Amino acid sequence: MFWQQLVNGLTLGSTYSLVALGYTLIMGVLNIINMAHGEIFMFGAFVGLFLVTYLKVNIFVAMAGAMVACALLGILMEMIALRPLRRRAVSDLAPLISTIGVSIFLENLALKIFGPQSQAFPSGALSGVQMQLGPVQITLVQIVILVISFGLMFVLRFWLSKTRVGKAIRTTAESIETANLLGINTNKIILLTVALASALGGIAGVLVGLSINAVEPTMGLSMGLKGLAVLILGGMGNITGAMLGGLILGIAEVFTVAYGASSYRDAVAFGMIILILFIRPQGLFGSSTRQGGRF
Amino acid sequence: MDVLLNQYYLQIAIFVLLNAILGVSIYMTLSTGQLSLGNAGFMSIGAYTCAILTVKAGLPLYLAIPIGGIAASFMSIIIGFPALRLTGIYLAIATLGFGEVVRVIILNLKITNGALGISGIPTLGAKIGKVFSSLGFSQGIGGLTAQQTSNLMVLVVLILSLAFLVFFCTRLNRSRVGRAFAAIKADEAAAEAMGINTTYYKLLAFALGALIAGIAGGLSAHLTFFIGPKDFAYNRTVEILTFAVLGGSDLIIGPIVGALLLTLLPELLRSASEYRLMIYGALMVAMMAFRPQGLISEETVRFWKGKLGRRVKK
Repeated sequence: MFWQQLVNGLTLGSTYSLVALGYTLIMGVLNIINMAHGEIFMFGAFVGLFLVTYLKVNIFVAMAGAMVACALLGILMEMIALRPLRRRAVSDLAPLISTIGVSIFLENLALKIFGPQSQAFPSGALSGVQMQLGPVQITLVQIVILVISFGLMFVLRFWLSKTRVGKAIRTTAESIETANLLGINTNKIILLTVALASALGGIAGVLVGLSINAVEPTMGLSMGLKGLAVLILGGMGNITGAMLGGLILGIAEVFTVAYGASSYRDAVAFGMIILILFIRPQGLFGSSTRQGGRF
Repeated sequence: MDVLLNQYYLQIAIFVLLNAILGVSIYMTLSTGQLSLGNAGFMSIGAYTCAILTVKAGLPLYLAIPIGGIAASFMSIIIGFPALRLTGIYLAIATLGFGEVVRVIILNLKITNGALGISGIPTLGAKIGKVFSSLGFSQGIGGLTAQQTSNLMVLVVLILSLAFLVFFCTRLNRSRVGRAFAAIKADEAAAEAMGINTTYYKLLAFALGALIAGIAGGLSAHLTFFIGPKDFAYNRTVEILTFAVLGGSDLIIGPIVGALLLTLLPELLRSASEYRLMIYGALMVAMMAFRPQGLISEETVRFWKGKLGRRVKK
């Protein structure tokens, strides 16, 4: 029972981590919270669903397609809703409100296009296969989720810390002005970061859509709120924090459901946030010297 | 007279006024430069406290509504202490989370009747109607039906509450407290260096905003006959936020104008009502890009004052 729940929690948590990584990347580089990230996640799920159902492509191709589509959506959002605000000095609440606007727009666009009912991936897309690993029963979907999310997280970590572009992203995160002085095209780096964050959101959308087998326009809001919870839990702009925070939240939620209080499941995330804000406002893994502590 | 006073117009006017009160509630916290996304949560605390007091304990309305507001304000102080030590974004997210927690708790409690909500709340109009008929005006006053009279009285009550709030806020802005708010909004570090206790004033603004939201919640429970947890979800918060974003949050008139426009617009554009929320979203993005201070800012007022003043001189 315990080990089974632990695996379930890790699977759920790894999707939270992927979503939270998207928030963290944008938070780290641009110092804003992208409130539309949940809706980008939802669009990713729908793109994946569309590719699998109508174009009958392989599920992994659909994941790649969702990543590309969401990256494009992210770029569009950056150009329309964020870049105009960067040009003029506005309060730091302006991007927050602007992205809330994008999120409302996207959610209602999805309601208009796809309708309010929840849709499922066609059977045969990975579902049904189960394996016995010691005391734990694990489905193929869970294995795919675990492998892809952990794989992506480690690739991202490595890429940020070792490659040239990763260094440029970290420099931009430290200070946009300094990065500009050093000859980094910060506009390009910001576009790249938003696209990357949105792509991560998109693939998380497909993975979650597969695991709960339901894709609906309102799924973005609840997932977005969970991602925000992880962002605060792990410390703003902290990549390790986002990864571990997501896992902690996933495990906590699964155990809440397993040991009774299933109807309080959605309160776990924000109960944790409020507790964290009381005890350790900079987040579990944030440094206390700097607000958030980046990357 | 009958055309002007039909049920539909009166209902819209009532919602405009209620939304305007909610607009003032978010203006209050924004006047220190803090964005609170928990107003729907505070509103639901006010609404539920008030509804439970009147339905289950039989308390009169004029007591229950302020108690609801005070309960919301009390919660805001508890939640505000840790949250207000933090920067604006932290507060926004923490209050957003608070709203969610309140929603889930209401969904699970017995006294709030879970997802079904509380229905059969005595409406303000019916209460006022009863008072009138006990005074011997059961046929209405001066050619108006009893229904119209009581609706009109509800309207008067709401107008008086809003007028009181506006009066209170304009007085507050000229006081020591209001100047402290403005100083914190302009530059928090500088305000602190000047010896202003920023935590105290931010908490005060936060609690006042919650108080107003709670009272608005209590009023809304007794205007609509029914409340459920869905009435106070994330969408409600965003709606309240749009009032301040569209109207502007520099002056108290801003959110009120925003509430007026955004409540009337969907009624006028009935055919486009399914695109209403999409338009809201696009509007928020466009406002931030082109006019982040909202429709009405201090400069706008100064500009028009200057223009009109000159015309008067000639």
